Amino acid sequence: MADGPPRPSRRAVLGAALALGTLTLAGCGGEGGTTKVRYWNLFGGGDGALMLTMQDEFRNNNPGIALEAVTLAWGAPYYTKLAMAAAGGRAPDVAVLHLSRLTGYAPGHLLDPFDEKLLAEFGVTRDQFPPGLIERATVDGRLYALPLDTHPFVMYYNTDIAQKAGLLGPDGKLAPISGPDALIDALTKAKQVTGAYGLALDNLDVMPWRLFWALYRQQDGDITLPAGGSVGIDDVKALKVLNFMGQLTAEGLATRNVDYPGAVATFAGGKAGFHWNGGWETATFTTAKMPYSMTRLPNIFGNARTSGDAHSFVLPHQRARDPITTRASYRFITELLKSSVTWGRAGHVPAYQPVVAEPAYLALKPQSEYRDVTPDVQLDPPAWFSGSGSDFENQAGSAFQRVLAGSLTPEQALAQFKAAVDKLLSTPSPV
Amino acid sequence: MATITTQAPAAVPVTEARPALWRRVPTGVLFTLPFLLFYAAFLIWPTISAFGLSFFNESLTGTRGELVGLRNWTEMLGDAAMWSALGNTLYFTVLSTPPLVLLGLVMALLTNRVMPLRWLWRLSFFMPFLLPASVMSLIWLWLYQPGFGLLNGALTSLGISEVGWLSDPSLAMISVVIATLWWTVGFNFLLYLAALQQIPEQLYEAASIDGAGWWQRLWSITLPMLGRTTGLVIVLQLLASLRLFDQAYLIYQGSGGPAFSARPVLEYVYDTAFTSFRFGYASAISSFFFVLIVVVSVTQLKLFPSRREDER
Amino acid sequence: MTAVATPDRSPRATARAWNVAGLIVTAIIALLWLVPLLWAVDTALKPEGETTKIPVTWWSDNLGFEAFRKVFTESDLVRWFLNSTVVAAGVTVLVLVTASMAAYGFARTEFRGRKVLLAVVVAGIMVPPQVLVVPLFREMLGLGLVDTYWAMILPQVAAPAMVFILKKFFDGLPRELEEAARVDGASPWRLYWQIVLPLSRPVLAAVGIFTFIFTWNNFFWPFLAVSDPDLMTIPVGLATVQSSYGLRYAQIMASAVLGGLPLLVAYVFFQRDIIRSVAHTGLSGT
Repeated sequence: MADGPPRPSRRAVLGAALALGTLTLAGCGGEGGTTKVRYWNLFGGGDGALMLTMQDEFRNNNPGIALEAVTLAWGAPYYTKLAMAAAGGRAPDVAVLHLSRLTGYAPGHLLDPFDEKLLAEFGVTRDQFPPGLIERATVDGRLYALPLDTHPFVMYYNTDIAQKAGLLGPDGKLAPISGPDALIDALTKAKQVTGAYGLALDNLDVMPWRLFWALYRQQDGDITLPAGGSVGIDDVKALKVLNFMGQLTAEGLATRNVDYPGAVATFAGGKAGFHWNGGWETATFTTAKMPYSMTRLPNIFGNARTSGDAHSFVLPHQRARDPITTRASYRFITELLKSSVTWGRAGHVPAYQPVVAEPAYLALKPQSEYRDVTPDVQLDPPAWFSGSGSDFENQAGSAFQRVLAGSLTPEQALAQFKAAVDKLLSTPSPV
Repeated sequence: MATITTQAPAAVPVTEARPALWRRVPTGVLFTLPFLLFYAAFLIWPTISAFGLSFFNESLTGTRGELVGLRNWTEMLGDAAMWSALGNTLYFTVLSTPPLVLLGLVMALLTNRVMPLRWLWRLSFFMPFLLPASVMSLIWLWLYQPGFGLLNGALTSLGISEVGWLSDPSLAMISVVIATLWWTVGFNFLLYLAALQQIPEQLYEAASIDGAGWWQRLWSITLPMLGRTTGLVIVLQLLASLRLFDQAYLIYQGSGGPAFSARPVLEYVYDTAFTSFRFGYASAISSFFFVLIVVVSVTQLKLFPSRREDER
Repeated sequence: MTAVATPDRSPRATARAWNVAGLIVTAIIALLWLVPLLWAVDTALKPEGETTKIPVTWWSDNLGFEAFRKVFTESDLVRWFLNSTVVAAGVTVLVLVTASMAAYGFARTEFRGRKVLLAVVVAGIMVPPQVLVVPLFREMLGLGLVDTYWAMILPQVAAPAMVFILKKFFDGLPRELEEAARVDGASPWRLYWQIVLPLSRPVLAAVGIFTFIFTWNNFFWPFLAVSDPDLMTIPVGLATVQSSYGLRYAQIMASAVLGGLPLLVAYVFFQRDIIRSVAHTGLSGT
């Protein structure tokens, strides 16, 4: 299993010399009889609370395994910590990784591959997952990630406000919205009801990129990222999206200059009729006891695609992998996959196909209503620097947020995006 | 000036000749050795190795590690993101140093006099300095929120429109400056307060007999007596401001702020090394920045040569 | 020479007017300085649902300690507190021992290369440790120390400024006592331990207190050296680990308040000593 790069022997020697002191100070090893499994994730939204439930369930079923789970701040801070821990050799046994980040994680160096024979012993095989995801999880024929879900960028709506605005159909669900004009019209009506905003939208960090990518892919737009070359992007389609994004905030239909928690709070506080975000805030809004429902991102520019990603389990590189801990880690991963109905409550669509067919999942409303979205979920274009919370998304987000803020024209923002991506492309890959 | 190294008397064996080697090592070396080991291992060696590393393309992932000559350095000189990050650091330094020094002085002058509740005033000025950067950043992140943030709430209640403290690229660094002023002015305040308490009382008494008022005494006694302290405070403050990382990183949660307008050069080093995994390139930037800091420090020593007599 | 006060007012009245004006200005600045902390406490006491109310209000009918209770039960704050204590105490002890020995060596002994070494140490004060993080992290990787207490402690012991402060203080101590003891046959180690150190208690306290504060609050290096949440110090843990989900401003503020509390409490106890000790460090420049 341990097939990482051989470190210089000097390190081994010095490491051994200091090991004794380290052990005494690092202290607090596992108690006798139980196996410790250390698990890191980045679920800070409403889904984090559901992950806690799943963890507790696992603990109850497996008293012999001491699960130590930690949630780290989402995005670059998480991925930085994960890489540093993997490089340091004392990484957690299991971690969550966005599938879109896999390329940048130097599979084989920072990540160890799964032993598919051992996985099969726990009843989990490749063919139980959507083929598109497995393809992206495989490098040189070896499986480096097990997808837990896909999580699309979706649309929440406040049912009370939508009803007052006359936007509900006879079945009590949102009447389908299609095309930019219909969307603007719906937002305007919702704004009249709330007296504040039509749409609660996080303007900062990576959210502008997610919105852009969804609407750009709805026009079948492609982005190509040739190493050492220049980014390939369809300017006409990109500008169409950016103009539309600018229009949303300029007319006061969507929140402006609001960050993530601010957008969630605006929607939860009834100050907006709609909210675009990942599906993972369902638990938050349910806890807030507000009248809401959710649906796929409307078809605004031609097709029903949306942006998103897939949370997956990975094995961060460890200098020495202990077989007993490994078995316990596999048990943990596979049991979580099999109990991912709970995870579905968070608004994520389970990736483990047997679960998607379970009645318990189908009974989840509104979450299971967009389970057909999986093939339409668009991951970032692959490159060592792209993926959720990556530098690429930060660069894109920081260019496009200025369109939302009204401080750059769409043309300027697109130019800034291209320059930033070209710079990433010209950077020698560290992987 | 002649430094003939005479053996310290005690190093001459007092007890009968023990053959132990360490007896023959000068005592002074033994005294300084433990510290020097730490110093060499964790300050000097990293400094040298940063320069060395800057000529390789080593990566955090443990892949690569070839000698690439000056390629990192030439890439850096043409790297607009590096220059803009460096510019952000300098902008922060220029913006933050004057208020941090002046307000520290004003606070010290105000509370150096006998007044009711003096302990409370002093406590409130110094207290923020005792907070960890993460606590301070969480608090300011909260204050700066649009809508329900205290600052914007106060503005709207005064009939002024909201300000995008965290989202407006032209304000992002100023928000960091304000938070920093609140956070660290207490340290300068403390240095000034200690200095004020060491000004001999007789000077003031003499001036009072001459009929000098508070204002006059301030200009003719207090400020001149604080000259050296001010020099020191400015030096320390400039060095501290140039090291900006913690609060900028934490307030913007590692994103660098809107359009990277609040990403200081040290955060760029961090991003390059640990988010993009490029150890070699990050070392080139930090070595470059290191040289800049040394130049600034040496210039300051030339400008404020007051402490030189310590070299005995 | 020329009177400042207007002729019709006595100097005493002028002085009183100055005092009142000074008090008012002081109180206003102090209030501004307290508001952020008070607001943090206020938020922490509110129920989550009321933290994001517009218009902003200080008052809530449902103030309580729910958020604090949750932070205590759901986060690792206590664990981080212990880690901070271990790291800060470890660094402080090591700095006091190594720096005072080195300072004594530089101040009271002669050996070849002393001046050069001293100059190298003083020059080190200018080196911002932050620029060294990449090679330091790499060094820790090589030593196999990443994710250990040692990785946080060891580099912070190399504090040349503390050597400089102590050396300056030792230089100012009268040599007569030591000369007398030396005539009686005392070794330099005894002079250091039984004469110089006891005379230096105030400056040692100052160096100790400041080393402790700086280490306790240090963010950057411990943030890099440790990724294992079990080993994190308070500043690192607060910034990296999330222990609550969804709407959680009250909890965030509660953890911020609790995270800042230990040093604030310590400060209130030691306030007098801290202000006095600054003078001893010679940091005030006088």
